Amino acid sequence: MRYIKYLIIALSLIVIAWLLPALYELVIPRTDKMPFVVYSCLDSTFIRFESSNKQIRYVDFRGQEFSKTQADSLLPLFAFRQLVAEGRLPDSLYGVALTPKLIQQNSFHFKTSPKQLNKPAVGLYTMLESASGRVDLTLPPDVFRLTKDGLEFIDCETNTINRAKSVSFTRELTKHGFTFPVQLIWGNSSTRKDYDNGFLLTDANDRLFQLKMVKGVPWVREIKTDNINGWKQVFTVEPANRQLIGLVVSNDDQLFAVTRDGKTVLVGIDAYDPQQMQITIVGDLFHWTITEYTATDSRYYAVDAKTFEQVACEMVPDGERPLAQRIERWLLPIRLRFTSWRTQLIQPNINDD
Amino acid sequence: MVRAIFYKEWLKLRLVWCLAFVIHIGLITYLLLALRATLLSAGTIETWATMISRDVLMINQLTYLPLITGICIALCQWLPEMQNKRIRLTLHLPIDYSQSIGIMLLSSLIGLFLLFSIDAVVLAIAEQLWLPRELVWRTFITCLPWYIGGFIGYNVTSWCLLEPLWKMRCVNILIGAPLVALCFLTTQPACYITMWPWLLVVLVATACLPFYSIYRFKLGKQ
Repeated sequence: MRYIKYLIIALSLIVIAWLLPALYELVIPRTDKMPFVVYSCLDSTFIRFESSNKQIRYVDFRGQEFSKTQADSLLPLFAFRQLVAEGRLPDSLYGVALTPKLIQQNSFHFKTSPKQLNKPAVGLYTMLESASGRVDLTLPPDVFRLTKDGLEFIDCETNTINRAKSVSFTRELTKHGFTFPVQLIWGNSSTRKDYDNGFLLTDANDRLFQLKMVKGVPWVREIKTDNINGWKQVFTVEPANRQLIGLVVSNDDQLFAVTRDGKTVLVGIDAYDPQQMQITIVGDLFHWTITEYTATDSRYYAVDAKTFEQVACEMVPDGERPLAQRIERWLLPIRLRFTSWRTQLIQPNINDD
Repeated sequence: MVRAIFYKEWLKLRLVWCLAFVIHIGLITYLLLALRATLLSAGTIETWATMISRDVLMINQLTYLPLITGICIALCQWLPEMQNKRIRLTLHLPIDYSQSIGIMLLSSLIGLFLLFSIDAVVLAIAEQLWLPRELVWRTFITCLPWYIGGFIGYNVTSWCLLEPLWKMRCVNILIGAPLVALCFLTTQPACYITMWPWLLVVLVATACLPFYSIYRFKLGKQ
């Protein structure tokens, strides 16, 4: 019975280490607000949208504050709707005639976080028809799974395998040099988009491919890459200007853009680890503003929207933790949590703030 | 003696077990009919797409049923025993008291295991008619922590009910309730896969706790 007594003490300590930090956070909620940042091509600086007391301040990294009207003028491609309404949209910028349609077509938004990526995958994917001849995309009558030696399409109505389609897609991939099994795969199965870029996938030899369905038949292309030491993550994107098909991250944390012509171009940022960093890309006609949040700092980059070369960069260390968090660390030296900002999986994490 | 105790527990709880069986089968049948209705009305393709892309499994109503069952079985098993200290009779059987209590606990844990297994088998067999194996497996691993919660709920309730002192009972509830809550931290499907070993440790640990309460009872703590 002595051992059971020790067991009860151990369980009590676990419960205390878990509940007290949770209770502390409930009483004193965290207010970690990440500012929205956009690069101003006119002022060659980043403008931060800082919300405090229900008001938004527009500040650059030199500390200069702008009014809302000034910020709109400095970010004509970001605030173009407002500028159009006020009749203040410039006729042209850097020799390019500006129209709302052109600006809208070249706007690009991408966001992902470790929490979105680190979750159990279903293992079933939807291959949309990318050239249906219709404006709206529709769901196909089947889904597919990955096997160790191919793709397997399952007919939804009968819940049976469509052998002919499975063989056709597997054979087309093999014909292009794809070695099964698939290592990484990413596609956007939403039908609420203008068009479909299919899937980016890597094979057993870490070669990168694009796969989509064109008029019911498979369409495969190898994305040529040089001197890449394997892939850590792939993303398919479908921007309105149709210039990109994806973003891929190499094993040494380099971010590449996959262009429409099937080439990878290094994006001029220092490092991006999708398992550890949250990333936001806000793109316009001339630049992409890339924001990375890591466990220790925030990094802001501006890259050229055509060449992806770095134009500007700012790194902001997180600075001293708020008083409430420092008190929590002092009062509760062991903080057990079962949820984390890094993953959707439930697992014990000690002192993972 | 072991068979006699098992038989006594069956006689005591048979109505409760039958009721639990009917409720479980009833809810599983309802969930399956609801899934079938969705497949027919919304369309199989749309339903599959929703389940795949939006992390929906259509089994949310099942979440707390195993826990409620575990707690109810413990209440029906131990409340009559603790009234007027009738459990003393069990403790005076010609076998070790921890053995007799262990058999009583085991009988209910086996009953819960059978009941939960029937749920899982019926759900899996029926779902695989309409859904691919990935979604059936996802349903199973999403339900698993809820069922482990049912076992932990039974153990913790037994621990609290067998405890002779109200003051300690309150302490037991304060420790036991969060251990049960560990199984219900998220509604996201399949997110407990890395937590299973820890839940099994908690399950085994909580299975030992009622023995401490009965030890204190035997010592005459009042």
